[in-house]
Formats: sequence, structure tokens, C-alpha cells
Amino acid sequence: MTTAILRKKADDLVNRRKKNRLVQNFIYALAGLIVIVSIQSTIIVDTDWDRIGSLAQIFKSVRRFVGIDTNLITQLFIPTVETFMMACLGTLLGVIVALPVIWFSAKNITPFFPITFVIGRAVMTLSRSVHEIVWALLFVSTVGLGAFPGILALSMRSIGFMSKITAEAVEDIDIGPIEAIRAVGGNRFQVILFGIIPQVLPVYIGNIIFQWDINIRRSAIMGLVGAGGLGLTLHRQLVMYNYAGVTTVVIAVLVLVGIGEVVSYYARKAII
Amino acid sequence: MSATLEVKNLKLKYNAFGPEILKGISFSVQPNDFFAIIGPSGAGKSSLIRCINRLVEPTSGEVFLNNKNVTKLGRKELRHARRDMGMIFQEFNLVERMSVIDNVLSGRLGYVSSIKSLFRLYLKSDIQDALELLNKVGLIDHVDKRADQLSGGQRQRVGIARALIQKPKLLLLDEPTSSLDPKIGKEVMGIIRTLSKEVGVPVLCNIHHVEHALEFSNRLIGIQDGVKEFDGPTSEVKKSDLERIYEMEVL
Ligand SMILES: Nc1ncnc2c1ncn2[C@@H]1O[C@H](COP(=O)(O)OP(=O)(O)O)[C@@H](O)[C@H]1O
Ligand SMILES: [Mg+2]
Repeated sequence: MTTAILRKKADDLVNRRKKNRLVQNFIYALAGLIVIVSIQSTIIVDTDWDRIGSLAQIFKSVRRFVGIDTNLITQLFIPTVETFMMACLGTLLGVIVALPVIWFSAKNITPFFPITFVIGRAVMTLSRSVHEIVWALLFVSTVGLGAFPGILALSMRSIGFMSKITAEAVEDIDIGPIEAIRAVGGNRFQVILFGIIPQVLPVYIGNIIFQWDINIRRSAIMGLVGAGGLGLTLHRQLVMYNYAGVTTVVIAVLVLVGIGEVVSYYARKAII
Repeated sequence: MSATLEVKNLKLKYNAFGPEILKGISFSVQPNDFFAIIGPSGAGKSSLIRCINRLVEPTSGEVFLNNKNVTKLGRKELRHARRDMGMIFQEFNLVERMSVIDNVLSGRLGYVSSIKSLFRLYLKSDIQDALELLNKVGLIDHVDKRADQLSGGQRQRVGIARALIQKPKLLLLDEPTSSLDPKIGKEVMGIIRTLSKEVGVPVLCNIHHVEHALEFSNRLIGIQDGVKEFDGPTSEVKKSDLERIYEMEVL
């Protein structure tokens, strides 16, 4: 009796697994098909194969980039500093503007859920879903060329990431200290100041460092659309067909990004 | 002598469609009581104690602290009433990344303006009180340590100092020893008893462990599934009463 039931159960299990495997194989096949179609439509059809030419020609094109334009080096100092400052100010502005966004978009502290929560989440999503280059184009067309639109573009981008991660940290906090501050007769501000901020501060600071690091990279390309910094110099070398100059600027970018990487590594270590 | 705390027919639902957690609880705490609330876990002890300072809003019923109806107070008046009730928590509820002394001083926040609290500008007399209390609970050598560097027993002693610096008219304790090992727990109960006697503040204390209740309280009530099952002097508690209160748990 019981063995019969057990055998039936075993059969069921085996059948279910077989069915699962069928579904699995189907999904793999589908994924494979999508990859093939994508390669076909984007790379094979869309690439101008005639212009790529022979292997020798490719080497020739690449060789143009070898070398450094020494005349350019002295002119790189100011754009490099500008790129760096854009990243710093963009991050600073972003992480400050993120504060009210965090406040509005964390479920457990938002002042009036039906309105403020929606506003907070909308700002967050808008900021995250628009690329920094698009933000830069927007700001260049509204406030003109230079570093200022770049700073605005970087900060717009940072607001979203900053507020998303920090708001989630706020939603996950331990309510114990909050209860304690409420219980002593603390007001809303004091509850946030003592009950919430100390718990999320490490996350917030960690993210400032992370955003700063990323913003250095983002900052380096801002100039391609007229928003200042090394990107602008890079763009000029490209339109002048000065390939050694392009390489020189790219090296400057690499150095800057490298510095950002090293500094943020130690800064992150220091706060843990 | 009028009661310090008078609780009348307190009822609580966390959710309009959910179960009734407290089903009409009444009792009163006298000025020199060490008043215990015992009962199995899930009985509603924590909910009851949180209804008194309205960390949880009761559905109906009344709470009088020194004849003032706490349930009727507006937001600001409620904050003022909370200053008169020091609370000690099972999980200590300290601000972990803040120093011991700042944690103790946070007990004064009800008296400090927002802007002053931003810069932690406490009165000098408050700082002196904080140090005195830390000395009394035996933490004077740990004043500047961060709270998260302390052991459980030490943290709870910070919690005691934080509650006492409020100069409360009533102490609310929610299983203050349940997160500690038994020996430390007993020490902590001893400190609470000594200091509350010294400043003359009555204590209302949730206790899961009956032995602590029998040892430290002069009066107790038993709660079972949101209903009061016993109310009387601790000396009159019989074994059968305890069995009745905890019968659910035995099962
Ligand atoms: N915040 C809450 N929301 C909903 N239900 C809760 C909440 N807190 C406690 N409860 C429920 O209320 C009942 C009593 O819990 P509690 O007051 O913590 O009991 P005790 O402290 O005696 O163990 C439990 O069934 C618990 O699940
Ligand atoms: Mg409890």
C-alpha cells in the first residue's frame, strides 16, 4: 500500500523533472536564437564591411593612433582640472539634491505617502533612465556651453542612483532606535537625526565615493557634446584628424580615472 | 494616594480586519510599585506597554498618567507626556554608532530644540547628570566608547541611564533582560530596582521569566492572549495562577 503510493510519487517526480527539462531546453534554444538574430541584424547587416577593408588596412588605421602629441600635453592641464572639478561639483550637487529625494521616496519616512512618495520615485526614475549625455545635451541647449551644463548633467545622474540606494537602506533600517527617540519625546526631526541618519550614513558616504568615482568617467566624455573638460579636447583632436592627439587625451583620461579609482579605494576602506 | 498610572479597558487591533490583540485591559500602578506584567510570548505584553506611551495607538480605552489622559493628547502634548515616561527595551535600542554619553544624553531630546539637537548642544547640567548616571550603572570608564563596542549587559545599562536622565514619573520596561544571559540579566534587574527606588520612580515591567517577576515585583498582572488573567500582590500569586497564565505555552 505505502510502497505503491511512494512509487507513484517517485513517478510523478520523474515526470515533473522531465517536463522541467523540456521547458529548460526550450528556453536555452530561444535564448540562442535571440543571440544569433541580434548578431545578424546589428553586426553582420549593419556594419559597412567595405569600409573596414583588409586586415592590412585595419592595421594601418590603428597605427595612426600610435604616438603622443607632445605639443598637446601642456594644453591638457586645464581641461584635466576642469574634468576633475566637474566630477567633484556634480557629485556634491547630486548628493545634496538627493537628500530630499531620499526623504520623499523612502516608504517609512515620506511625509505624505500618496503625494511625496510618488514625487520622490518619479524624480528617481527620471534621473536614472536618462543617460548623462542626454542630460548634457539638454543642459548645453538651456544654459550654454562649458563646464556648468556638465556639472548639472552629472548631478542629475547621481541623484537617481544616490537616492535609490539610500532610500532602500532607509526602508531596511532597524526601528529600535527610532522607537527609543520617539519614546523620550523626540520630534520628527530628532527621530530622523538620531534614529535614521546614523544607520544609513555609512551607505550614504559609501555611495558618495562610488558616485564620485563614476562621475570622473562620465565627466571625461561630457565635452563631446560641448559640456567642457577633456571630452572637448578629445573632440577637437578627432575633428582635426590629429590621431596622436586623441591618444594623448585618452591617456590623460586614463590617468585621471586611475587616480579616482585609487582615491576611492582608500576612502572606502577608511569609512568601514 | 492616587495612582501614577491608570489603564482603563484598553483594546488594541493592529489592523482593522485583524485579530484583537488586547481585549480590554485595566490596572493601576501606585507611586512606589515595581509592577510586573507576565505572560507567554505573543500574549500582548509588548503591545500593552507600547500603548501606554502611544508608540502604538490603542483602538480604545484610556491611559491616565498622574490623572492626565494620555490617549487624548495632541502630537506636541504627547511628546511632553512621553518625557515623563522612561522606556527600557528588550533589544536596548541604542543608537549604535553614537558614543555612550551621547546615547544617555539622547534621553533629554524631549527638552532640546531641533537646532540644538543637530549640534548636540545639551545643557551642562544634563551632561553632569549623564556622567553621574553612568557612574551609578558602572560605565564611567566607557563614556566615550561607541555603543556598538559594548557587551549586551553594558548596553542595557546605557539604556537604563538614558531612561533615568529623563527624570521620569514612570519607567516602562519591555523585557529588559530577555536578550541577556541569566546572570547578567539578574544584575541588570538589580540595578533597575536600586536606581528606581533611589529616585522614587514606579516601574511597570514586562517579564517573560516568572522567577524575575516573583523576585523583583511587589504586584503583578498576568496576560494571556490579550486578556488579564491575574491581578494582585506578588506575594499572593499561587502556583495554579501561574499555570493558568502559562497554560497556552505548556501545550
Ligand atoms: N506591529 C505589529 N503589527 C501587527 N501585529 C503585531 C505587531 N506587533 C505585535 N503584533 C502581534 O501582536 C501579538 C502580541 O505581540 P506582543 O505584544 O509582541 O506580545 P508579547 O510581547 O507578549 O510577546 C502577536 O500575535 C504579534 O504577532
Ligand atoms: Mg514582547
